[in-house]
Parts: sequence; structure tokens; C-alpha cells
Amino acid sequence: MLEFARKIQVSRRCRKGLLPESICRYVSLFDHPLQRNTPLDELRFVIFDTETSGFDLVKDRILSIGAVSMKGSTIDIADSFEVLLRQEAIGGKDAVSVHGILKRDLTQGMEEDEAVCRFLDYLGNGVIVAHHADFDIAMVGRVLSQRYGIKLFNEALDTASFAKRLEKGPYYNLAHKSGEYRLDNLCARYGICLYDRHTSPGDAYLTAQLFQRLLAVGRKAGVDTLGKLLLK
Amino acid sequence: MQTTTPSNTIVERVAADLGKYPPFDRLSLDKNRKIAASLAVEYHEEGETLFRKGDELGRFSYMVMKGAVRLFDSIDGEEVLVDLCDEGDLFGVRAIFGTSTYLLSAQVVEESLLLAIPVETIRELVQSEPSVAAYFTGAIARSVQHIEHSLSEAIDMRRSLMEPGGGSLLANETLVVDQVRNVITCAPGIPIREAAKVMSENNIGSIIVAAENRHPLGIITDTDLRKKVVAIAGQVNERPVSEIMTSPVYTITAGKTVADMMMLMVRTKLRHFCITEDGTADTPVIGIISEHDIVTSEGINPAVIMKAIMQSESVEQLSQEREKAEKLLKMYIAQDVAIHFISNIFTELNDALIVKAIEFSVADMKREGIDLPDIEFCWLSLGSEGRKEQLLRTDLDNAILFRDPENDASRETVQRVFLELGKRVTAILVACGFKPCPAEIMASNPEWCQPLSGWMNYFRKWIGTPEPKALMNSTIFFDFRPVYGSTALALEMKREINTEIARGRGFLQFFAKNALQNPPPLGFFRNFLVEKSREHAHEFDIKARAMMPLSDAARVLACEFGVTDFLGTVERFRRIGQLLPSFQELAEEAAQGYEFLMRLRTEHGLAEKSSGRYIDPEHLNKMQRQELRDLFTTIGKVQSMLNLRYQLDYIRA
Repeated sequence: MLEFARKIQVSRRCRKGLLPESICRYVSLFDHPLQRNTPLDELRFVIFDTETSGFDLVKDRILSIGAVSMKGSTIDIADSFEVLLRQEAIGGKDAVSVHGILKRDLTQGMEEDEAVCRFLDYLGNGVIVAHHADFDIAMVGRVLSQRYGIKLFNEALDTASFAKRLEKGPYYNLAHKSGEYRLDNLCARYGICLYDRHTSPGDAYLTAQLFQRLLAVGRKAGVDTLGKLLLK
Repeated sequence: MQTTTPSNTIVERVAADLGKYPPFDRLSLDKNRKIAASLAVEYHEEGETLFRKGDELGRFSYMVMKGAVRLFDSIDGEEVLVDLCDEGDLFGVRAIFGTSTYLLSAQVVEESLLLAIPVETIRELVQSEPSVAAYFTGAIARSVQHIEHSLSEAIDMRRSLMEPGGGSLLANETLVVDQVRNVITCAPGIPIREAAKVMSENNIGSIIVAAENRHPLGIITDTDLRKKVVAIAGQVNERPVSEIMTSPVYTITAGKTVADMMMLMVRTKLRHFCITEDGTADTPVIGIISEHDIVTSEGINPAVIMKAIMQSESVEQLSQEREKAEKLLKMYIAQDVAIHFISNIFTELNDALIVKAIEFSVADMKREGIDLPDIEFCWLSLGSEGRKEQLLRTDLDNAILFRDPENDASRETVQRVFLELGKRVTAILVACGFKPCPAEIMASNPEWCQPLSGWMNYFRKWIGTPEPKALMNSTIFFDFRPVYGSTALALEMKREINTEIARGRGFLQFFAKNALQNPPPLGFFRNFLVEKSREHAHEFDIKARAMMPLSDAARVLACEFGVTDFLGTVERFRRIGQLLPSFQELAEEAAQGYEFLMRLRTEHGLAEKSSGRYIDPEHLNKMQRQELRDLFTTIGKVQSMLNLRYQLDYIRA
């Protein structure tokens, strides 16, 4: 129970006032984990995306976080989120041009610690949904671990794997044909208009629309609870 | 746990989607952003039911972003399709108006992405945004009626004042409105009585209330004096003008064209505009433009064309003037001028043209030694021109009616001369751009150049022994209208026809049956009901499918009520609405719908240089499709009213 031990440690530091309120509040939300048999309609999903300066988990930095929530299968625009991070250390890296974030934005955004705390405030104990979720979760997780010694405790679902599972069954080897499950390709396949591509809120909104469709397909295959969704 | 504001990027995206469709397309981006931030985006699969008839109303109205939703009624266990909503359509809006349950069921027919708009959001919009309120109440058309009325009054007045030989009217062709330059202003503190005195001494209808530096603060018009002063109790004459002025006054820069001003007037519903140095209220007043100045500006005035037609000396000149009129038509259509106003003007212009063509022909004939017989006669316009609806130069339908000569021998000579007149006039009209009638229903055809007895024989046959096919081809004759010659003779014929109709009740039933030949298409949406014939495949015949059902219905009712005035479809509906109070609301709906169709057809005909009759549904904008769809509901209602009134279910043709 490594996780449990880590939580104990965090709550001890919280009591001593060593951690920001946001972090403590976030961690306490997981005292009561979500039940496996919770119907999908009662869940709050947080579909999010990060833009980063590159794909190196150690060297690269988060430039922005965008997210939108879904209550069941309905996207709630009012409950959406976007933050730009201040990252002065970054020079003329490639991702900067890919994502269309100008350099001045990088010096004007919010400090990394504050941005991450705000994100956690927004995220709460929602079920994380992201496209190639592992990467985004790792990027946020690294900041959390470096700064506060915690990680993301939320349940999480990767839309690329979910799509693959629904289309090909659980044993299809995604590694061979990963192109088919890129966000662009999936959106094209499910008839979703591509807009604001490569901004984190834009990609989060697209991923949410994709997730809506995948949920509808999943429902027909009997996926109606959190447990069935996460194969737990 | 929401501590931040919603994502700008996402809100922006949703606002952009929303802003593509009415009524949101008329709102500012900022307003749409606020609305977008309150929305939810729902995805539904084919076959899902969103709500059922009788369900309690939900908290949302929906806009289809993608896909399609069918709305249906359940009558005696059978599903009756009422509407099919696709991209950009709003449904479930009944919730806004606070009724208690859904009147229709909604089912997804094609996987759909829907924007769920909270009912409170729309309610708030209806209250704060006039354009949204208008969208929901269909009041857009009505709101311009007032202005349209006063405009046409002013133009009538101008025409009656027009004197022959006054060259100055034509001298100034500029389109810039002449503003009043030495504006009379008053200080905000002076008593109302004093302001009224200044106005009457200077014979002006309005006065600008200005600060010492001549920056405009407000305006007082004679309407303010009439309404507000009377409305306030007690002694008000000594109160300062600032209490009753309309403030702020609408300010503009100088140099506005008539087109600009007409649009501004329609849009703002104001009748006075204050010109300042930089167009804002923070610089001194330099002029004022009132409705009267706009109407009487040179260049735009149809009276100028009218005068030129009346003074034409050759057919070429006549043809050129008609060409100019077409430009005027384009301008009016582009400016969204009320169609009833446009059709009044074009009826006047066309009539003047016909009169001139007759005068030319009579003079030519005289020169060649053919004198018109000394006998009462009347030139009749038939069909759309008879109904005062011919805006585009479509087919000519006309006829000549003359008093029966005393004996058969002279009858033949008389007819020969009138036929000669008919041929010449028709030729001139064709030279002016009108198309000859393919069925030859023209005064140049001996069949349609007849004495009163001849005409009554025709009408008696149509009325007495109605036969579907013959009746269908005869409807345009029932729309005759005198244009030149003896109106009394035409009126006499009209009365005789009405007597015949009143005598044989069976006729009205046949006539009504004929009006129901074109039922409104039920499916006017994704699979637009289009023509199957090769030439116009994929196009929609707006004349046969939408206009004729209405003009036919109006004609039948006008016949039943024995209306003797020579009216158009819109006027007929309004008249019948007065005579038959239970029908009034529907009649008004039909009248407005018909005006919309006239505009649509004219707009289309001008753009395509055609009769405008066949319309490609793909080229309609959202608003037009919406209106057309509403219109088919109206046509359906009008037709079931006819069905009931004449008990058509009991007769078999």
C-alpha cells in the first residue's frame, strides 16, 4: 500500500501547513474512492490535454492545460478550464511553433505551481479522460511529485485505447498501427469537425466530442458503469 | 469545485458555432460568448427519444449542430411528422413561453450533436434583445410596417404634387440626402411652451436640444409634444424641455446616401437623425435629416422615373425607363424595403407604362387613319399584373373589354380595331422587356378582345358548368383589373360575375377544390421537395408550390364575399380577415407569408435574370428556409380552412 502510505504522509504535511490548501483539499477527496458500480451518467469526467515543449518527460515543460467536463455524456461548457503557464526557461523549441503559442505568452502565463494547483481545484475527483492519457498524466504528475510529493490519484481513461478496444477488441496491438488512432484520424472517422487543433483547450474539446461518441458505442456493448469502462 | 472561469478557447468555439444561425447571428460576439458559456453539448444516437408529447417541459431548448431530429405529433396512435430539424434549427422552444408540457415528441433520426440552451438564458435574451424577441414572435415583418406606411404616403403626396414641365426634379441625380443646414436648437432649460412656440414659428416638426457648445443632448418632435405633454398630468408648459425630450438623439456623420438612410430608418425605427461634426454626440450639431428629407431626396424617387415614363416620346425611351426601374427594384430589394411598398410602386410604374403604350398606339393608328370607335372600352391586366404583383417583367397577361355595339356588323369592325390596338400595345410592352404569354392570353388574341356580352359568356360558362381543367386555366381571368379606359365598365363586369357566383353555389366548391391542387410539401427540409422534370431537377417551384396555393385561396374567398375592389393577394387576405374575424389571424399570417414569397422570388429572379420561379434550396439561407417552412404550415392551415368551409371532403371531382 505504497499509495496509502503516501497519502498519510501528505496529510501529515498538510496539518503542519507545509502544503498549499489546493493540494490538501485535492488529496482529501480520495479518502472515499469512486465506486466501481457507479453508473456512467452520474460521473463527472474531466477531458483534458496539455501542450508541452516536447515529448521528453524529464526535460520538457507544460506550456498550457485545457480541459472541459462531462456529466455523463453531456459536455458542460460552463465547467471548462484553460491556463497558460509561464515558462521562461524555454527558448525557440519546436513545440512552440507546433502549438502556436507565441513566446510572449510563455513569459506572461501563470507560474507552474499556481497553474497546477488551479488545475487540481478544477479537476477534483473527476475521472480523467485524455487522448494518449499516459503522457499528459505523466507531465502533470512530474510537476506534482517534484513540488509536492504527490501524484494524480484520479481514475483515468485513454480515448485512444478505448477507441481501439471498442473497434478491434481488447487484444489488438495498438503499437503496430498507432496512426489509425491519432486524434485527427479518429475525429475524421467519427465525423467530428477539426477546429482549434493543437491548442490544449481545443484538443480537449475535440477529445470530449470523441469520447461522447465512444461512450455511445460502448453503451451498446454494455459499458454502463465506471468499473466496466475502466475494465476494473 | 469550480474556481476559475470557463476556457476562453472553448467558449469562443461554441460561440462561433452558435453565431452562425438565427437568432444568434444577429447578436454581438460578446453576447454569444456569454450564452456559449452557459451551454451544454449533447450527443445522441439515431433512434433516441429526447422528449415525448405530454412530458413535462425540460430546462433546455436545443439547437441542432449536426444531425437531424424529427418532431412529431401523435394523433389517434398514429405518428404525424410535423417538422424535421437539421443544422441550425432550434426546437423545444415552447419551454420559453411557459406552457406546461411538450406538444410534440422529438426523436433523433440521425446521430446528432445538440447545443442545450438553458431556458432562462433564452428568456433573458428575449427580454434584452429585441432581435431575439422578434425572431420568436415573428414580428420582424410587422416592425417595419409603420415606416413603410408613412413612406408610401409621402411618396403618394410627392407624386400628386408633381407638375408637368418642372425640369428641376430631374436636375439633381445625386444620391446623397440633402440635410437641413441651419438647424434650430434650443437649450435644455427652456420651458416646453417656448420650444413649441419656436417650432411653430419656424414651421418645423422637430427641434434639437443642445448644450451651450451645440453638442446635441436630445430631440423634441411634434409627436413628443402631442403625446408626452398630454400624458403628463397638471400644468406642464412651464417645465423644462429636458423633461420630455428623447435622449440621446441618434447622431450620424454628414454625406449619407438615401440608401444608408432608408436602412437606418428601418433598422432604428427612428424618423429624425442629427448630424454632428464627427458623428458622435460629443461634437457640435451641423445638420438634421428627417424622414421627410429622405423620402423627397432626388434620384431615388420613383416619381422621377414615373415622370420620365409619362413624358416619354418614343418606345426606346420607355424601354430605357423600365430598365431604370429595374435598378430601383434591385436597390429596394437589397435594402429590404417592405414588399407591399415595392409592389405599389411597381404597379404604378407598370400601369403608367401600359397607359403610355396605349397612347402611342392610338396616336400611331390615328396617323394611319384608323380611329378608335366611339365606344366605351377598358384595357385589363390579368393574372399577377392584375393582382398588382408583377415586380419582374414576367409573362404578359392582358385583355380588352368593350361595350357591346348596337348591331353585329359594327361589332365586327369594332373588334377589329381594338384587336389592332391590342397587337400594337403588346408589341410595345414586349419591346420594354415583358415576355409574351405562351398561352396567348393577350389582347392581341381575338378570343380575349371581346365585348361585355362575350366576356360574360365566358364567365357564365366557367361559373355555371365548372370543369376542372378549364377552371384551372381560367383563374387568371378572375384577377382582371382595369388599367386604362372605362373603369366603370370593368366594375360592371365584376358585379355581374359576382351575381353569377352567388347564384350557383357549386362553383365555389369547384373553385376551392382547384385551390387545393398543390398541397404544401410535408418534407421541406433535408430532402427538400424538388421538381422532377429534367430542366429544373433539384429546384423548387416556388410559384406553383407556395405562391399559387395562397393566391388561389385568396381568390376563392374574395369571390365568395363578393369583393368588388380590384385587389392583390395580400390585400385580399387582409380584406377577408376583416370580413371574417375568425380567420383574421391566419389571414394576416398568409398575407405576410405571401409578401415573403414575393420578395424571395424577386430577389432570386433579379440575381438569376429569370422569372425567379425555380429556386435551388441549397441557395437559401437559414432564415429563408425557416420562413419557408413556417409558411408551409400556414398554407396547410389555409387549405384545411377551405376544405372545411366548402366541405370539399364530400365532393369528388
